[in-house]
Amino acid sequence: MSYLDQWKQKKNAKRQKFYTNHFHQTMESVPDSPLSTNLSENLDTISHQLGSTDDLVVRTLPLPERGTSAAVLHLNGMVEKEAISEFIVKYLTTTINESEQPAIHELEMSRTLRQVIRSILSGNTILLVDGKAEAYVASTPGWERRGVEEPRVESVVRGPRDGFTETLSVNTALVRFRLRDPNLRVRHLLIGERTQTGVNVLYLDGVVDPEILNEVMRRLQAIRIDGVLESGYLEQFIEDNHWSPFPQLQNTERPDKVAANLLEGKVAILVEGTPFALIAPAVFAQFYQSPEDYYERFYISVFIRLIRLISMFISLLLPSLYIAFSSFHPEMIPSRLVIAMTAGRSTVPFPSIVEALIMEVAIEILREASVRLPGPIGPTIGIVGALVVGEAAVTAGLVSPVMVIIVSLTTIGSFASPSYSTAISLRMLRFPMMLMAGIFGLYGIMLFLILILIHLAALKSFGVPYMSPISPIKIRDMRDLFVRLPLVKMRNRPSIYDPSDKTRIEGGQRP
Amino acid sequence: MNKGFRPSGNAYSTWQLTTIITSTLIGVGVLTLPRSASIALGEAGWISTIAGGLISMGSCWLMARLSRLFPGRSLVEYSPLVLGSSSLKWLGKVISFPLVLCYLAYLYIIAAFASRLFGEVVVTAVLMETPLEATIIAMFLLAAVLCQHDPQVVARINELLFPLIILPLLLLAVASFQKAEWNNLLPIFTFSWKDLFNGVMETTFSFEGYEVMFIFFAFAQGGAGKGTASVAGLGIAMLVYTLIVIAGIAVFDIDELQLLMWPTLELVKTTQVPGLILERLESAFLAVWVVAVFTTIGNVYYAFIYGLRQLLGKGIVFQRISSVLLLIPLFWLALQPQNLLELSRFNSIIGYAGAVFFGFYPIFYLFLSLLRGRKLHRQAGEQDD
Repeated sequence: MSYLDQWKQKKNAKRQKFYTNHFHQTMESVPDSPLSTNLSENLDTISHQLGSTDDLVVRTLPLPERGTSAAVLHLNGMVEKEAISEFIVKYLTTTINESEQPAIHELEMSRTLRQVIRSILSGNTILLVDGKAEAYVASTPGWERRGVEEPRVESVVRGPRDGFTETLSVNTALVRFRLRDPNLRVRHLLIGERTQTGVNVLYLDGVVDPEILNEVMRRLQAIRIDGVLESGYLEQFIEDNHWSPFPQLQNTERPDKVAANLLEGKVAILVEGTPFALIAPAVFAQFYQSPEDYYERFYISVFIRLIRLISMFISLLLPSLYIAFSSFHPEMIPSRLVIAMTAGRSTVPFPSIVEALIMEVAIEILREASVRLPGPIGPTIGIVGALVVGEAAVTAGLVSPVMVIIVSLTTIGSFASPSYSTAISLRMLRFPMMLMAGIFGLYGIMLFLILILIHLAALKSFGVPYMSPISPIKIRDMRDLFVRLPLVKMRNRPSIYDPSDKTRIEGGQRP
Repeated sequence: MNKGFRPSGNAYSTWQLTTIITSTLIGVGVLTLPRSASIALGEAGWISTIAGGLISMGSCWLMARLSRLFPGRSLVEYSPLVLGSSSLKWLGKVISFPLVLCYLAYLYIIAAFASRLFGEVVVTAVLMETPLEATIIAMFLLAAVLCQHDPQVVARINELLFPLIILPLLLLAVASFQKAEWNNLLPIFTFSWKDLFNGVMETTFSFEGYEVMFIFFAFAQGGAGKGTASVAGLGIAMLVYTLIVIAGIAVFDIDELQLLMWPTLELVKTTQVPGLILERLESAFLAVWVVAVFTTIGNVYYAFIYGLRQLLGKGIVFQRISSVLLLIPLFWLALQPQNLLELSRFNSIIGYAGAVFFGFYPIFYLFLSLLRGRKLHRQAGEQDD
């Protein structure tokens, strides 16, 4: 055995030890022992395992007709009380015939303590009967949940209005409702030692590349964490490069987007407790593609997509170009404009890089503040910030009028992006870009662009190169790159995800 | 995370090989090309770029042919095989070591001088108040960043930047045809064979750089056409060069052209953007030209570092560290020429040396390996096992 293997073994042993030491109070610590036949003994062990928590409701029912007694257990607030009183308690107290089962939709039998504890914690109701070493588990989860609403951050003009909610089963159903394919498969995982969060991995069998699917599952199963409160936790564990500014998984709260991506041969990850689903693998095109592109007709969607591309470049480059032009290459600006600009800048005491930095930071503060503020006040802050402060700053001679235009165009441009997290990565890169423009002018901008491109060329998401299909070049996949061809012409699934089933539209269709 | 998942290997496609060749060639030389091409041949200067391109194409094709004998191996790896024998393996290593070292030193030197020339242009034309050293260091750091990655990234970045290199030059050529005085191109056939030879030698500096393919051909995919790539890559570069030279001669005439320091940049000054969005274009052109220079310096430096890594039998960690450390002597080397005049003298010496040397290298190796024929194949096969 080589030293490397020894070292790896040692490291694994160490990790295992750490793991057992630190998570000893979690679900794994609950003994996997069978239940006893004695009711009060069972109640004692369960209550002991839950630390006699006060929200555990235990109702013992003497059943003199059957000559035994039973107990109903559940956690307060996690269950549908009507269902319990209607079906279980009524069943126990009125039914004499033992072969008749309570009229509950899902009823299972549990024989071990761990299963029982897990069921209670998931909002199920446990029915224990004296003299039986098994427990009935009735599925009665009924905590307060939000209904299906319109997505908050990803709105479209044309397209379905429903968005994911915090409930995993509802979210899965929203996708299933769109894809009634028997090949739509759901794999359920529990991640998080303490939160025991349900995670559903969705894919279309026979379309997805099994290699990518296996890699997604492998990475998900390797996660060791105490809690998963949002899909972002998982994203940060399974992404290829933690240090990249670019998101390597797409997130969305739109079920139609998930369905469309599943059809392209990708894998979706839905997480309990969050309306944001993850889609893997992701490529650079996510920065400007929106589900709406496929709902509108050809010319409209091409136009809108080109507008989004332009706004992407504006949000990344505009302030830096202003800095470079005004301080290094004034000869490039038309002479009349340069006179007007200089007149506007004549009162400004700072160099243009400082001016731009001040304004850009100010606008980021405004943006963050208006996100945090409650609904009705948010727009007010926007108006006060943009109009009043901007106007006053120009009048006071702190910034030039052109700068205000530049900053507002940049911000508006970044909001034209179809997804918030992609937009924010470009907004971040704007700042080093401005610094480079302040040092080297246009030369600095080009250097930084090349640097970003080197990074993008090296970046991969689940084995798919991030810049594909531009590099490595795939002419066939370019039908959906900058210009989306009419749907009839997009006959094949994108080959970059290596789908098992390649065609999606039958050829030769004519009205 | 698991970096080993789906390693795309280092397989280059035919198109990627083509873009590497073209973008390595097109670099600093474009700015002076119309002048240097027409020094010897006068009005028929564009013939020298075609002749130079055809000769380089032949040389590059020989490299491809050579690489086909040793698939998956670079010059550094097959050189000892060609020169040694199965019984005297050390002999091959000993003989090939100085030859390979010469090759690597050549790459190192052209990287240094290309960056120096680049720095001079940037400092004189756009960033008058920035020190020369700063512009050169920034470019070097970018090349070092490229060296932190796998060879596949080199292919992808060339593929990504390729349109950004070719399109502005083509646009420039076509746009300046509007102001062309076509009579300037006449008479065509007034030169002797000696003039043609001199003219070709003058353009060698613009065509140097395809030598990196001694290294990069090793990464070609199983089905990738190395010969096709060399013909296409050099063909595209030749086409662009010829158009630029024709534009240069046709817009200025031959006498004026000899007086211009950076004729291509002057060509840019004569063109106008419709609608006057931008009043003058030199800075914008130079900004795009940075990309062309980066692909030259980056590819050459990467080939150098990768060759060194193979020569010494080291891994990616060595590549990463040495790529940063070797920037210091590279920087020193770049600052050696005292002025532009000396730099251009150095450049033409290197250009001549390269032309002689690397016209000769592929022929030499190909001749030897064909001579040794079957024996060599057996030897190569043994090493694979």
